Amino acid sequence: MQAGNHRVGLVFFPAFDWAITPDHPEREERLLYTRDQIMEEGLLDMPGIEEFRPGIASDVEISRAHICVPSVDRVVTESHRIAAGGTVTAADLVLTGKVKRSFALLRPPGHHANRIVHGSRGFCTINNEAIMVEHIRHTYGSDLRIAIVDTDAHHGDGTQDIFYNDPGVLHISLHQDGRTLYPGTGFINERGGPAAYGQTINVPLPPGTGDEGMLYVIENLVLPILEDFQPDLVINAAGQDNHYTDPLTNMRVTAQGYARLTELLSPDIVVLEGGYSIEGALPYVNAGLLLALAGLDYSAVREPDWSEDQVRQPPRISEAIEKMTGQLWQLWRTRKDVNLEKIFGRGPLYQRHRQVYYDTDNIMEEQVESIKLCSTCSGWRLIHSGAARGMGGGLRRGAVIAAVLIPWRACEDCRREAEAEFQHAQKSGRFRYVYLQDVERDMYKCI
Amino acid sequence: MYIAGIDVGGTNTDAALIKDDLVVATGKVPTDQDNLVESTAAALESILGSWRGAEPLELHLSTTLSTNIVVEGRGEPVFVAAVPGPGMRIEDLNLGFPVYRLSGSVDHRGRETAGLIPEEVKAALASARQAGMEALAAVGKFSHRNPSQELEIEALAQEGSFGFRHITLGHRLSGRPNFPRRLATSYLNASVAGQQAGFVEMVKRLMLRGRSIGRVYLLKADGGTMTLEDSLIRPIETILSGPAASLMGAQALTEHRHGNAVIVDIGGTTTDIAVQVSGEPVFEPQGAEIAGHKTLVPALFARSIGLGGDSEIRVIEGARGGTRAPRLLIGPKRAGTPAALGGSRATPTDAAAALGLTSIGDAARAQRAVAELARALGLGIEEAAQEVINGFTRQLVEAIEEAYAYLESRPVYTISELLAPPDIRPRVLIGLGGPAEVFIPLAAQAMGIGWEVLPYHEEANAIGAAASRPTAAVTYHADTALGAATVPEMDYIGEIHRPMFFDLNKARQEAQRWAAEQGKRLGVMDLKDISIIEEESFNMVRGFHTVGRILTIRAQVRPNVRRIAAGAKGGKADAGR
Repeated sequence: MQAGNHRVGLVFFPAFDWAITPDHPEREERLLYTRDQIMEEGLLDMPGIEEFRPGIASDVEISRAHICVPSVDRVVTESHRIAAGGTVTAADLVLTGKVKRSFALLRPPGHHANRIVHGSRGFCTINNEAIMVEHIRHTYGSDLRIAIVDTDAHHGDGTQDIFYNDPGVLHISLHQDGRTLYPGTGFINERGGPAAYGQTINVPLPPGTGDEGMLYVIENLVLPILEDFQPDLVINAAGQDNHYTDPLTNMRVTAQGYARLTELLSPDIVVLEGGYSIEGALPYVNAGLLLALAGLDYSAVREPDWSEDQVRQPPRISEAIEKMTGQLWQLWRTRKDVNLEKIFGRGPLYQRHRQVYYDTDNIMEEQVESIKLCSTCSGWRLIHSGAARGMGGGLRRGAVIAAVLIPWRACEDCRREAEAEFQHAQKSGRFRYVYLQDVERDMYKCI
Repeated sequence: MYIAGIDVGGTNTDAALIKDDLVVATGKVPTDQDNLVESTAAALESILGSWRGAEPLELHLSTTLSTNIVVEGRGEPVFVAAVPGPGMRIEDLNLGFPVYRLSGSVDHRGRETAGLIPEEVKAALASARQAGMEALAAVGKFSHRNPSQELEIEALAQEGSFGFRHITLGHRLSGRPNFPRRLATSYLNASVAGQQAGFVEMVKRLMLRGRSIGRVYLLKADGGTMTLEDSLIRPIETILSGPAASLMGAQALTEHRHGNAVIVDIGGTTTDIAVQVSGEPVFEPQGAEIAGHKTLVPALFARSIGLGGDSEIRVIEGARGGTRAPRLLIGPKRAGTPAALGGSRATPTDAAAALGLTSIGDAARAQRAVAELARALGLGIEEAAQEVINGFTRQLVEAIEEAYAYLESRPVYTISELLAPPDIRPRVLIGLGGPAEVFIPLAAQAMGIGWEVLPYHEEANAIGAAASRPTAAVTYHADTALGAATVPEMDYIGEIHRPMFFDLNKARQEAQRWAAEQGKRLGVMDLKDISIIEEESFNMVRGFHTVGRILTIRAQVRPNVRRIAAGAKGGKADAGR
């Protein structure tokens, strides 16, 4: 058989015995037809494509990216550990040089999971990409520069939250406009925290965007930004719900569009996120994606019900996308000229206040995050979070926790202040649990 | 009843006659590759002295016919008519044979998404016949889910009286997915069909030559047998039956029929490693691989390594400065006849002979050959011989470990399988072949398990052929939302009545019924031998409503090999720890 240009490692785990609930989109059947298509196409017999078993993520691996409340065990099931562990396996395959590229084709997804985890939101409990990124920095070097390009139709809000103030990570999310789709965020003005301003880039696409618009953004915005940022690794959070047949979204992207996107982006690691057109889209999108990753010809991959009319992108949408792309490129180019004091104040702390709703588990969380504005490192952080079931959860109800975060390459001052805050929070008696997340020392505490 | 087992190998043709659970006679004649039927007749002749002619005789035949045709590329040209639909390009599959692409397509659920164009099919068939093609293979993507387009091509070929001598339809060969493998399997099947038909004719004539031979069965790569008639439809299943025969011989002769075991056949040049789990042989996950073709032909899992009694022994120089002593590497090439038996270079057999571990050959000659090796290593003769024995054992154990590591790292798709993998590790090492008596106890000791060296190591292949029983598998696939069921191996496309009530139990019953039907054709009357080997059941939800189920059940007639007593020629064994 034809050898592709690239050796690709596939970590396929469809979790055929797990569902959120029997009729939930995240159910046993989700990757059944994808499996059927991949097997029937004989893709695993291709000399450049090799399949691997997923690993199982440990408490420590999860704690590098998350504060699970009350504990990892209480919010995470085996299915989540395997999805995260399989994503870590995909990273190891590439970083140890076993393969050139890898694809974690597994479920459940993770990109809506924030750093603080009280439960499940947007079908996600823990963030597969974030756990992988922290594993990579822990194992292969904390100075690796990592770019995540999220092409799910829903805003990658969880991943954005976790790397919001992380200068080592660039996060670009292309998604259907948050005014028209869950989770309702991901606007142009969400641009990152004080230590990583401009490195969060949101591209809200109008409903009706097709291959043309998606690929326009890749070619005219994403690729130039990557060229500028010079990442050591490019990760694609590859949701497949921009497809024209997806039941939850209103986009018009095709399997050909996804394959071309993959070819253009040439990511090192691809991680499946959402995508719930399990019969009409996933089998074809995944076949095309795998071929594109392996450097093989994908031109004959086509949905049986494909028609020009279904996937045509209206001209007004093309115009809107071109305009926005220009605007975002301008913002990227001038990101270092921005006066950060005007946005984040003069310190010593910058505070943001927000509410997070966990739709899957019906939990409301209220959060106050304080970031130390530090001139030598990205600054230690303190998060106060309270959550309870139902819409009335918040800082005045339910379990309130405090989490102290010490970032990669924290300066001595920040480390000292953070440790003092951790002691102080414990003594105050105000909190049900107090957490310390110290990635550099790989130390995670919960008191 | 008497059963004659004959394994026509590359060099020799081995024969064994069994009655009930006893080996009555064994024989060996050289193989004439140009006349396999005569070799068979001669081998049969060598054992028939012990047959009382009044009782019926069954003949089990393992031949290299189709294997040789495939390996040597001597198959007939085949017109391969493919219905690939959308997906991977056929051109990129590098199949090694031409494929003609037809319009039409079937999707993953077996729905026809584009029809065949009859005029296009007929034109293609006509031009193929004009080009002199006598065999046709029709293969569709997802034809295991819906074989109707392949059947339509067959009907068009027959109605049009194109005069193809053989037609292979992909879905009849396997109910498993994998379009490129289905293409390769179908192509190979059609390409050997003509010569197989000739062979079957000759075997039938042999049967008429005065001897009252009852039924004749052919051995398959999965260690089971098939009828002569079936071999005309699916001749490709007879590939690689030689190695399967040896493994079946081991399964027939071993004391360890029920547990986990590793079966190691140590020959002169190569060693074959096979795996038994809970008494059942382990199969290749998708199918046999032969001469670069990946197929869907069911085959026993076997790993072959270049390590044997006649292997070459090389001294690998140690690191400079003497920090590391020179060490030995055995195989993968053959050195030639062991010095103990008249050869010139030291082999593992010579090391064993030099140490008095075997009675094979001339120990003095063996010691002289090992002496050369000892000089290169800076050791005494006995030490050097011991090094060879240790090196051989180490390489064997490593290869066994690798085989298990491979099997244990195979992907699984459920959480329960990932968290609680089945225990496939061996409890006993079963050894076959000349050098087995020396190396099997040592390897077993290194692995910390028991061992058994089987008798009849020269004739285990023929005994295995005789002891084999019919095997067959069916794949029952039901899609209750479509109200459709298929059994591709049996050409069945049917409707499900009352799909609301069609559940896993019903599907199991149906699968078993079809397997029983298949079994009856093969002469298996005992329904105990039918087992379900794989099953899947998925609820289909559309818009928050359950609209149906997808059920796939694979049922098989088990390769329930006949038990053969070791008798007076008993082997050796040790239960281990």
